Amino acid sequence: MLRKRLITVLTFNDGVLFRTKDFIPDYRYTANFVDAWSIDEIVLLDITRPGEGKKENFYQKVQDFARNCFVPLAVGGGVKTIEDFRKLLRLGADKIVINTEAMQNPKLITEAAQLFGSQCVVVSIDAAKNGDGTYEVCTEYGKKRTGLDPAAWAKRAQELGAGEIMITSIEKDGSLEGYDNVLNKMVTEAVTIPVLVCGGAGKWQDFVDGFVQGQASGACTTCIYHFTDSSIKSAKKYLANSGLDVRT
Amino acid sequence: MIAIIDYGLGNVQSVAGAVEKLGFKAVITSSPEELQKADKLILPGVGAFADGMKNLHNLGLIKVLNTLVLEQKKPILGICLGFQLMARESYEFGHHTGLGWLDASVIRLEPGNNLRVPHVGWNGLQQRQQNVLFENIPAEALFYYTHSFHVKMHQEQEALGKCSYGISFTSAAKKENIYGTQFHPEKSQQFGLKLLENFLKKG
Repeated sequence: MLRKRLITVLTFNDGVLFRTKDFIPDYRYTANFVDAWSIDEIVLLDITRPGEGKKENFYQKVQDFARNCFVPLAVGGGVKTIEDFRKLLRLGADKIVINTEAMQNPKLITEAAQLFGSQCVVVSIDAAKNGDGTYEVCTEYGKKRTGLDPAAWAKRAQELGAGEIMITSIEKDGSLEGYDNVLNKMVTEAVTIPVLVCGGAGKWQDFVDGFVQGQASGACTTCIYHFTDSSIKSAKKYLANSGLDVRT
Repeated sequence: MIAIIDYGLGNVQSVAGAVEKLGFKAVITSSPEELQKADKLILPGVGAFADGMKNLHNLGLIKVLNTLVLEQKKPILGICLGFQLMARESYEFGHHTGLGWLDASVIRLEPGNNLRVPHVGWNGLQQRQQNVLFENIPAEALFYYTHSFHVKMHQEQEALGKCSYGISFTSAAKKENIYGTQFHPEKSQQFGLKLLENFLKKG
Protein backbone atom coordinates (compact mmCIF):
# COMPACT_ATOMS: atom_id res chain seq x y z
CA MET A 1 0.00 0.00 0.00
CA LEU A 2 1.38 3.34 -1.07
CA ARG A 3 1.43 5.73 1.88
CA LYS A 4 0.06 9.27 1.91
CA ARG A 5 2.99 11.69 1.99
CA LEU A 6 3.57 14.57 4.36
CA ILE A 7 5.86 17.09 2.72
CA THR A 8 7.70 20.09 4.09
CA VAL A 9 8.19 23.03 1.74
CA LEU A 10 11.11 25.34 2.52
CA THR A 11 11.59 28.62 0.71
CA PHE A 12 14.96 30.32 0.45
CA ASN A 13 15.93 33.89 -0.33
CA ASP A 14 19.57 34.14 -1.32
CA GLY A 15 20.26 30.88 0.49
CA VAL A 16 18.49 31.89 3.72
CA LEU A 17 15.37 30.06 4.85
CA PHE A 18 12.30 32.27 4.71
CA ARG A 19 8.78 31.99 5.94
CA THR A 20 6.50 32.16 2.96
CA LYS A 21 3.88 34.73 3.74
CA ASP A 22 5.53 37.86 5.02
CA PHE A 23 9.14 37.23 3.99
CA ILE A 24 10.69 37.55 7.43
CA PRO A 25 14.02 35.74 7.62
CA ASP A 26 14.03 32.86 10.03
CA TYR A 27 17.31 31.22 10.88
CA ARG A 28 16.17 28.91 13.65
CA TYR A 29 14.85 26.02 11.65
CA THR A 30 17.25 26.00 8.75
CA ALA A 31 18.49 22.45 8.92
CA ASN A 32 17.76 21.23 12.42
CA PHE A 33 14.97 18.95 11.45
CA VAL A 34 16.45 17.34 8.38
CA ASP A 35 17.84 14.42 10.34
CA ALA A 36 14.37 13.67 11.56
CA TRP A 37 13.17 10.31 10.37
CA SER A 38 9.50 11.04 9.89
CA ILE A 39 9.14 13.64 7.14
CA ASP A 40 8.39 11.90 3.81
CA GLU A 41 9.79 14.44 1.41
CA ILE A 42 11.29 17.93 1.31
CA VAL A 43 10.69 20.65 -1.27
CA LEU A 44 13.28 23.43 -1.55
CA LEU A 45 12.21 26.54 -3.45
CA ASP A 46 14.40 29.47 -4.39
CA ILE A 47 12.33 32.65 -4.13
CA THR A 48 15.22 35.07 -4.64
CA ARG A 49 14.05 37.86 -6.90
CA PRO A 50 16.13 38.29 -10.04
CA GLY A 51 19.22 40.38 -9.38
CA GLU A 52 18.83 40.26 -5.59
CA GLY A 53 21.04 37.36 -4.69
CA LYS A 54 23.48 34.77 -5.87
CA LYS A 55 22.18 31.52 -7.33
CA GLU A 56 25.23 29.81 -5.81
CA ASN A 57 23.88 30.43 -2.30
CA PHE A 58 20.79 28.41 -3.11
CA TYR A 59 22.82 25.72 -4.87
CA GLN A 60 24.89 25.37 -1.72
CA LYS A 61 21.73 24.78 0.30
CA VAL A 62 20.52 22.14 -2.14
CA GLN A 63 23.83 20.36 -1.84
CA ASP A 64 23.76 20.57 1.97
CA PHE A 65 20.30 19.03 2.11
CA ALA A 66 21.17 16.34 -0.43
CA ARG A 67 24.25 15.40 1.56
CA ASN A 68 22.57 15.33 4.94
CA CYS A 69 19.02 14.16 4.59
CA PHE A 70 18.10 10.83 3.13
CA VAL A 71 14.60 11.60 1.92
CA PRO A 72 13.47 12.70 -1.52
CA LEU A 73 14.27 16.28 -2.46
CA ALA A 74 12.24 18.28 -4.93
CA VAL A 75 13.88 21.55 -5.92
CA GLY A 76 12.62 24.56 -7.83
CA GLY A 77 12.38 28.29 -8.21
CA GLY A 78 13.56 30.06 -11.35
CA VAL A 79 14.16 26.85 -13.32
CA LYS A 80 14.14 27.84 -16.99
CA THR A 81 16.25 25.42 -19.00
CA ILE A 82 17.31 21.79 -19.33
CA GLU A 83 20.69 22.96 -18.04
CA ASP A 84 18.99 24.21 -14.84
CA PHE A 85 17.45 20.74 -14.46
CA ARG A 86 20.81 19.09 -14.97
CA LYS A 87 22.55 21.41 -12.52
CA LEU A 88 20.02 20.82 -9.71
CA LEU A 89 19.92 17.07 -10.30
CA ARG A 90 23.70 16.93 -10.09
CA LEU A 91 23.55 18.77 -6.77
CA GLY A 92 21.30 16.03 -5.41
CA ALA A 93 17.74 16.97 -6.34
CA ASP A 94 15.50 14.03 -7.15
CA LYS A 95 12.89 16.03 -8.96
CA ILE A 96 12.52 19.53 -10.26
CA VAL A 97 9.64 21.90 -9.67
CA ILE A 98 8.74 24.27 -12.50
CA ASN A 99 6.05 26.91 -12.42
CA THR A 100 6.12 30.11 -14.51
CA GLU A 101 8.46 28.65 -17.11
CA ALA A 102 6.18 25.65 -17.62
CA MET A 103 3.43 28.06 -18.65
CA GLN A 104 5.64 30.22 -20.83
CA ASN A 105 7.54 27.37 -22.43
CA PRO A 106 5.51 24.15 -22.16
CA LYS A 107 8.05 22.35 -24.36
CA LEU A 108 10.38 22.37 -21.36
CA ILE A 109 8.07 19.88 -19.61
CA THR A 110 8.28 17.45 -22.53
CA GLU A 111 12.01 17.83 -23.06
CA ALA A 112 12.76 17.34 -19.39
CA ALA A 113 10.45 14.33 -19.15
CA GLN A 114 12.11 12.68 -22.12
CA LEU A 115 15.56 13.34 -20.74
CA PHE A 116 15.11 12.75 -17.02
CA GLY A 117 11.85 10.80 -16.86
CA SER A 118 8.36 12.06 -16.03
CA GLN A 119 8.85 11.31 -12.33
CA CYS A 120 11.45 14.07 -12.31
CA VAL A 121 9.13 16.84 -13.51
CA VAL A 122 6.80 18.47 -10.98
CA VAL A 123 4.60 21.19 -12.43
CA SER A 124 3.65 23.69 -9.77
CA ILE A 125 0.45 25.64 -10.26
CA ASP A 126 -0.51 28.74 -8.28
CA ALA A 127 -4.24 29.36 -8.45
CA ALA A 128 -6.32 32.35 -7.41
CA LYS A 129 -10.04 32.28 -6.79
CA ASN A 130 -12.19 34.66 -8.78
CA GLY A 131 -15.25 36.48 -7.44
CA ASP A 132 -17.58 34.10 -9.28
CA GLY A 133 -16.05 31.03 -7.63
CA THR A 134 -13.95 29.98 -10.62
CA TYR A 135 -10.18 29.62 -10.40
CA GLU A 136 -7.40 31.06 -12.47
CA VAL A 137 -3.74 30.07 -12.85
CA CYS A 138 -1.27 32.76 -11.77
CA THR A 139 2.41 33.05 -12.62
CA GLU A 140 5.36 35.12 -11.45
CA TYR A 141 4.85 34.58 -7.72
CA GLY A 142 1.10 35.03 -8.08
CA LYS A 143 1.35 38.48 -9.61
CA LYS A 144 0.20 37.70 -13.13
CA ARG A 145 -3.19 36.18 -13.92
CA THR A 146 -3.36 34.00 -16.99
CA GLY A 147 -7.07 33.30 -17.47
CA LEU A 148 -6.32 29.56 -17.53
CA ASP A 149 -8.32 27.04 -15.56
CA PRO A 150 -6.03 25.18 -13.08
CA ALA A 151 -7.61 21.76 -13.74
CA ALA A 152 -7.29 22.21 -17.51
CA TRP A 153 -3.68 23.33 -17.17
CA ALA A 154 -2.88 20.40 -14.87
CA LYS A 155 -4.33 18.00 -17.43
CA ARG A 156 -2.32 19.66 -20.20
CA ALA A 157 0.84 19.46 -18.10
CA GLN A 158 0.27 15.74 -17.61
CA GLU A 159 -0.15 15.27 -21.37
CA LEU A 160 3.10 17.18 -21.92
CA GLY A 161 4.94 14.78 -19.60
CA ALA A 162 4.69 16.07 -16.02
CA GLY A 163 5.03 13.38 -13.36
CA GLU A 164 3.40 15.26 -10.50
CA ILE A 165 1.31 18.37 -9.98
CA MET A 166 1.74 20.71 -7.04
CA ILE A 167 -1.31 22.91 -6.56
CA THR A 168 -1.18 26.00 -4.35
CA SER A 169 -4.07 28.22 -3.42
CA ILE A 170 -2.84 31.81 -3.41
CA GLU A 171 -5.56 32.92 -0.99
CA LYS A 172 -4.98 30.09 1.46
CA ASP A 173 -1.18 30.16 1.36
CA GLY A 174 0.08 31.31 4.74
CA SER A 175 -3.44 31.60 6.16
CA LEU A 176 -3.33 28.44 8.34
CA GLU A 177 -7.06 28.12 7.57
CA GLY A 178 -6.80 24.79 5.76
CA TYR A 179 -6.38 23.86 2.12
CA ASP A 180 -8.78 24.91 -0.61
CA ASN A 181 -10.09 21.41 -1.22
CA VAL A 182 -12.58 22.49 -3.84
CA LEU A 183 -9.63 23.60 -5.93
CA ASN A 184 -7.61 20.52 -4.94
CA LYS A 185 -10.36 18.11 -5.92
CA MET A 186 -10.84 19.80 -9.30
CA VAL A 187 -7.17 19.22 -10.01
CA THR A 188 -6.83 15.70 -8.58
CA GLU A 189 -9.85 14.58 -10.61
CA ALA A 190 -8.48 16.10 -13.81
CA VAL A 191 -5.24 14.08 -13.81
CA THR A 192 -3.99 10.53 -13.20
CA ILE A 193 -0.55 11.56 -11.91
CA PRO A 194 0.02 12.26 -8.19
CA VAL A 195 -1.03 15.66 -6.87
CA LEU A 196 0.57 17.50 -3.97
CA VAL A 197 -1.61 20.10 -2.30
CA CYS A 198 -0.22 23.29 -0.78
CA GLY A 199 -1.27 26.43 0.93
CA GLY A 200 -3.14 26.83 4.17
CA ALA A 201 -2.39 23.84 6.40
CA GLY A 202 -2.42 25.00 10.01
CA LYS A 203 -3.57 21.98 11.99
CA TRP A 204 -3.41 18.21 11.65
CA GLN A 205 -7.05 17.91 10.54
CA ASP A 206 -6.18 20.10 7.53
CA PHE A 207 -3.86 17.33 6.30
CA VAL A 208 -6.65 14.76 6.71
CA ASP A 209 -9.02 17.01 4.74
CA GLY A 210 -6.42 17.47 2.00
CA PHE A 211 -6.13 13.70 1.61
CA VAL A 212 -9.81 12.82 1.97
CA GLN A 213 -11.61 15.82 0.43
CA GLY A 214 -8.82 17.05 -1.83
CA GLN A 215 -7.77 13.47 -2.76
CA ALA A 216 -4.12 14.48 -2.53
CA SER A 217 -1.20 12.06 -2.80
CA GLY A 218 0.88 14.41 -0.70
CA ALA A 219 0.05 17.23 1.69
CA CYS A 220 2.51 20.09 1.89
CA THR A 221 3.16 22.41 4.77
CA THR A 222 5.10 25.63 4.82
CA CYS A 223 4.20 26.36 8.42
CA ILE A 224 7.29 26.70 10.56
CA TYR A 225 5.51 25.13 13.52
CA HIS A 226 5.43 21.90 11.53
CA PHE A 227 9.19 21.91 11.07
CA THR A 228 10.18 19.78 14.03
CA ASP A 229 10.53 16.07 14.35
CA SER A 230 8.00 15.91 17.17
CA SER A 231 5.38 17.91 15.27
CA ILE A 232 5.74 15.72 12.18
CA LYS A 233 5.45 12.61 14.35
CA SER A 234 2.40 14.04 16.04
CA ALA A 235 0.82 14.83 12.67
CA LYS A 236 1.51 11.30 11.43
CA LYS A 237 -0.11 9.85 14.53
CA TYR A 238 -3.18 12.02 13.98
CA LEU A 239 -3.39 10.91 10.33
CA ALA A 240 -3.04 7.23 11.27
CA ASN A 241 -5.77 7.61 13.89
CA SER A 242 -7.96 9.15 11.20
CA GLY A 243 -7.63 5.95 9.15
CA LEU A 244 -5.06 7.16 6.63
CA ASP A 245 -2.07 5.04 5.57
CA VAL A 246 1.04 6.94 6.52
CA ARG A 247 4.64 6.08 7.27
CA THR A 248 4.96 6.36 11.04
CA MET B 1 36.50 2.69 -2.28
CA ILE B 2 33.01 2.70 -3.75
CA ALA B 3 32.65 4.07 -7.27
CA ILE B 4 29.41 5.82 -8.09
CA ILE B 5 29.12 5.69 -11.84
CA ASP B 6 28.62 9.16 -13.26
CA TYR B 7 26.86 9.06 -16.61
CA GLY B 8 25.15 12.41 -16.48
CA LEU B 9 21.72 11.25 -15.32
CA GLY B 10 22.04 9.95 -11.79
CA ASN B 11 21.46 11.70 -8.49
CA VAL B 12 25.09 11.05 -7.76
CA GLN B 13 25.45 13.48 -4.85
CA SER B 14 22.73 11.84 -2.77
CA VAL B 15 24.16 8.40 -3.36
CA ALA B 16 27.66 9.62 -2.49
CA GLY B 17 26.28 11.29 0.65
CA ALA B 18 24.65 8.07 1.79
CA VAL B 19 27.77 5.98 1.10
CA GLU B 20 29.94 8.43 3.05
CA LYS B 21 27.45 8.62 5.89
CA LEU B 22 27.93 4.86 6.21
CA GLY B 23 31.68 5.35 6.60
CA PHE B 24 32.86 4.38 3.12
CA LYS B 25 34.89 6.45 0.70
CA ALA B 26 32.79 7.37 -2.33
CA VAL B 27 34.15 8.49 -5.68
CA ILE B 28 31.81 9.89 -8.32
CA THR B 29 33.45 8.92 -11.58
CA SER B 30 33.22 7.86 -15.19
CA SER B 31 36.91 6.98 -15.46
CA PRO B 32 37.59 3.32 -16.33
CA GLU B 33 40.73 3.39 -14.11
CA GLU B 34 38.74 4.52 -11.06
CA LEU B 35 36.03 1.95 -11.74
CA GLN B 36 38.73 -0.72 -11.97
CA LYS B 37 40.18 0.35 -8.60
CA ALA B 38 36.82 0.39 -6.81
CA ASP B 39 35.80 -2.41 -4.44
CA LYS B 40 32.19 -2.04 -5.44
CA LEU B 41 30.16 -0.12 -7.98
CA ILE B 42 26.87 1.71 -7.77
CA LEU B 43 24.90 2.56 -10.91
CA PRO B 44 22.41 5.23 -9.80
CA GLY B 45 19.75 6.69 -11.99
CA VAL B 46 17.15 9.32 -12.48
CA GLY B 47 16.07 9.58 -16.05
CA ALA B 48 15.01 7.94 -19.24
CA PHE B 49 16.30 4.55 -20.37
CA ALA B 50 17.38 5.52 -23.89
CA ASP B 51 19.44 8.46 -22.67
CA GLY B 52 20.98 6.34 -19.94
CA MET B 53 22.23 3.79 -22.46
CA LYS B 54 23.32 6.50 -24.88
CA ASN B 55 25.35 8.25 -22.19
CA LEU B 56 27.00 5.01 -21.03
CA HIS B 57 27.87 4.32 -24.64
CA ASN B 58 29.21 7.81 -25.35
CA LEU B 59 31.40 7.66 -22.24
CA GLY B 60 32.82 4.37 -23.48
CA LEU B 61 31.65 2.63 -20.32
CA ILE B 62 29.70 -0.32 -21.64
CA LYS B 63 32.69 -2.52 -22.47
CA VAL B 64 34.47 -1.56 -19.22
CA LEU B 65 31.39 -2.35 -17.15
CA ASN B 66 30.84 -5.65 -18.93
CA THR B 67 34.39 -6.67 -18.08
CA LEU B 68 34.19 -5.56 -14.44
CA VAL B 69 30.75 -6.96 -13.75
CA LEU B 70 30.52 -10.07 -15.93
CA GLU B 71 34.15 -11.25 -15.95
CA GLN B 72 35.71 -9.87 -12.77
CA LYS B 73 32.43 -10.28 -10.88
CA LYS B 74 32.77 -6.96 -9.09
CA PRO B 75 29.67 -6.36 -6.94
CA ILE B 76 27.37 -3.73 -8.39
CA LEU B 77 24.12 -2.19 -7.18
CA GLY B 78 21.77 -0.61 -9.71
CA ILE B 79 19.27 1.86 -8.30
CA CYS B 80 16.00 2.74 -10.06
CA LEU B 81 17.01 3.55 -13.66
CA GLY B 82 20.38 1.96 -12.87
CA PHE B 83 18.55 -1.29 -12.07
CA GLN B 84 16.43 -0.98 -15.22
CA LEU B 85 19.52 -0.48 -17.41
CA MET B 86 20.73 -3.93 -16.30
CA ALA B 87 17.81 -5.53 -18.15
CA ARG B 88 18.17 -6.77 -21.70
CA GLU B 89 15.54 -4.41 -23.12
CA SER B 90 13.17 -1.57 -22.37
CA TYR B 91 9.91 -0.38 -23.85
CA GLU B 92 10.19 3.16 -22.50
CA PHE B 93 9.53 5.57 -25.43
CA GLY B 94 10.18 2.87 -28.05
CA HIS B 95 12.27 -0.27 -27.84
CA HIS B 96 15.82 -0.09 -26.56
CA THR B 97 18.57 -2.55 -25.78
CA GLY B 98 19.93 -2.54 -22.24
CA LEU B 99 23.12 -3.84 -20.64
CA GLY B 100 21.61 -7.32 -20.72
CA TRP B 101 23.07 -8.50 -17.41
CA LEU B 102 19.63 -9.60 -16.22
CA ASP B 103 17.18 -11.64 -18.24
CA ALA B 104 14.46 -9.05 -17.82
CA SER B 105 12.41 -6.46 -19.70
CA VAL B 106 11.51 -2.95 -18.60
CA ILE B 107 7.83 -2.32 -19.16
CA ARG B 108 5.29 0.36 -18.31
CA LEU B 109 3.74 0.19 -14.86
CA GLU B 110 0.01 -0.37 -15.36
CA PRO B 111 -1.49 -0.77 -11.90
CA GLY B 112 -5.16 -0.30 -12.86
CA ASN B 113 -7.72 0.42 -10.12
CA ASN B 114 -7.47 4.17 -10.79
CA LEU B 115 -4.03 4.16 -9.16
CA ARG B 116 -1.87 7.08 -10.15
CA VAL B 117 1.26 6.72 -12.28
CA PRO B 118 4.12 7.48 -11.72
CA HIS B 119 4.16 5.41 -8.56
CA VAL B 120 5.64 7.95 -6.18
CA GLY B 121 6.13 7.64 -2.47
CA TRP B 122 6.74 5.20 0.35
CA ASN B 123 5.74 1.61 -0.20
CA GLY B 124 6.68 -1.82 1.08
CA LEU B 125 9.22 -4.45 0.12
CA GLN B 126 8.05 -8.04 0.44
CA GLN B 127 11.15 -10.08 1.06
CA ARG B 128 10.68 -13.19 -1.10
CA GLN B 129 14.11 -14.66 -0.41
CA GLN B 130 16.63 -14.43 2.37
CA ASN B 131 19.56 -12.34 1.33
CA VAL B 132 22.35 -10.32 2.91
CA LEU B 133 20.70 -7.24 1.40
CA PHE B 134 17.76 -7.69 3.79
CA GLU B 135 19.68 -8.34 7.00
CA ASN B 136 18.16 -6.44 9.92
CA ILE B 137 15.45 -4.97 7.74
CA PRO B 138 12.00 -5.62 9.18
CA ALA B 139 9.28 -7.01 6.93
CA GLU B 140 7.20 -3.85 7.36
CA ALA B 141 10.01 -1.42 6.38
CA LEU B 142 9.03 1.17 3.77
CA PHE B 143 11.10 2.45 0.89
CA TYR B 144 10.84 5.40 -1.47
CA TYR B 145 9.77 4.64 -5.02
CA THR B 146 9.42 6.99 -7.96
CA HIS B 147 8.95 5.36 -11.37
CA SER B 148 6.58 4.79 -14.29
CA PHE B 149 8.28 1.63 -15.57
CA HIS B 150 9.30 -1.55 -13.82
CA VAL B 151 11.62 -4.48 -14.38
CA LYS B 152 9.85 -7.67 -15.38
CA MET B 153 12.20 -10.51 -14.46
CA HIS B 154 12.15 -13.54 -16.75
CA GLN B 155 14.06 -15.60 -14.17
CA GLU B 156 11.79 -15.48 -11.15
CA GLN B 157 14.50 -16.88 -8.84
CA GLU B 158 16.44 -13.65 -9.40
CA ALA B 159 13.61 -11.57 -7.93
CA LEU B 160 14.53 -11.01 -4.28
CA GLY B 161 11.70 -8.75 -3.29
CA LYS B 162 8.40 -7.48 -4.57
CA CYS B 163 6.29 -4.40 -4.16
CA SER B 164 2.56 -4.22 -4.47
CA TYR B 165 0.91 -1.32 -6.31
CA GLY B 166 -2.14 -2.59 -8.14
CA ILE B 167 0.14 -5.30 -9.49
CA SER B 168 3.08 -7.03 -7.83
CA PHE B 169 6.39 -6.01 -9.39
CA THR B 170 10.03 -6.80 -8.67
CA SER B 171 11.51 -4.19 -6.37
CA ALA B 172 14.80 -5.92 -5.55
CA ALA B 173 16.79 -8.41 -7.61
CA LYS B 174 20.04 -10.33 -7.41
CA LYS B 175 22.01 -12.42 -9.84
CA GLU B 176 25.43 -13.45 -8.56
CA ASN B 177 27.33 -10.18 -8.01
CA ILE B 178 24.61 -8.04 -9.58
CA TYR B 179 22.06 -6.34 -7.34
CA GLY B 180 19.25 -3.98 -8.24
CA THR B 181 16.52 -2.06 -6.46
CA GLN B 182 13.59 -0.22 -8.01
CA PHE B 183 13.29 1.97 -4.89
CA HIS B 184 15.90 4.49 -3.81
CA PRO B 185 17.78 3.19 -0.74
CA GLU B 186 19.65 6.50 -0.54
CA LYS B 187 16.29 8.25 -0.12
CA SER B 188 14.66 5.75 2.22
CA GLN B 189 16.04 6.91 5.54
CA GLN B 190 17.17 4.40 8.13
CA PHE B 191 16.09 1.20 6.36
CA GLY B 192 17.36 2.43 3.02
CA LEU B 193 20.71 3.21 4.57
CA LYS B 194 20.72 -0.21 6.25
CA LEU B 195 20.10 -1.95 2.94
CA LEU B 196 22.84 0.09 1.32
CA GLU B 197 25.18 -0.77 4.19
CA ASN B 198 24.36 -4.46 3.73
CA PHE B 199 25.39 -4.20 0.08
CA LEU B 200 28.56 -2.27 0.90
CA LYS B 201 29.63 -4.65 3.68
CA LYS B 202 28.35 -8.01 2.51
CA GLY B 203 27.19 -7.76 -1.09
